[in-house]
Amino acid sequence: MVKPRGDGVVLTFEAEEVAYLRAEVGRTTGELEGGVPQHGVDPVRDRLFPRAYVDPTEDRAEREFQSVVHEDLVLAKSTGLDLITTALDGGRERRGRTEVVVATADLEGWVGGLNDVRLVLGTVLGVTDDDPDGRDRAPLTAERAGYDWLTDVQGVLISVLMGEA
Amino acid sequence: MASVGDTSTSTIEAPVEETVTGTDTPWLVIVWNDPVNLMPYVVFVFQKLFGYSTEKATRLMLEVHHDGKSVVSHGTREKAEIDVVRLHAHGLWATMERDRAS
Repeated sequence: MVKPRGDGVVLTFEAEEVAYLRAEVGRTTGELEGGVPQHGVDPVRDRLFPRAYVDPTEDRAEREFQSVVHEDLVLAKSTGLDLITTALDGGRERRGRTEVVVATADLEGWVGGLNDVRLVLGTVLGVTDDDPDGRDRAPLTAERAGYDWLTDVQGVLISVLMGEA
Repeated sequence: MASVGDTSTSTIEAPVEETVTGTDTPWLVIVWNDPVNLMPYVVFVFQKLFGYSTEKATRLMLEVHHDGKSVVSHGTREKAEIDVVRLHAHGLWATMERDRAS
């Protein structure tokens, strides 16, 4: 799935993997819209933009915090997601597959973008166990399989980012 | 990973650079366990944001994983807010609260 090349790595995707990744990046980008979050309404947005203050007597500070930081958070998350889309756009067809170059400088953006995609999907799917072996116990739906695939891709890129691959 | 009784416990004490008076209670930044964030990613984020050694970042990550949460930084309300938003930008589930113990 991943090969080192010059200043970065090359990811090789099947056509359906490219389409899936595009769709999930698009879904996550959509979740960034809607302005400053109202907590307790949408679990996905609650997870993308968590409360900072746990103490309910700090609700005013919480509202101020969210309104001040929201644009920056959206920008930070969009940057990673856009990076993935741009790289997919620039992918090269080769023997029915798509090769996507991830420059070393973009690794962190990819890892962060994939993390947000997994946060959204994980919340939608109600992923509850963080034990890798638990995969076998979860009902293997197509969406769960997609989530696990995203986990693998992110895991590989984290290894590269941390100099372990 | 980290040996028992190392100096890392000092991280949850009041910061030395502050004079703690009245409402200036230090704030704790807490990262909570969640089933999505991968363990090496959490270590990476702790190192990147706080400059922690691999050992310390790993110990904090394992604390989050096993105990459900860990105090990863502390300071004034303003500093805690900055740390929380940086953690949120990286997708970690972080909150802040007053250090009642101080």
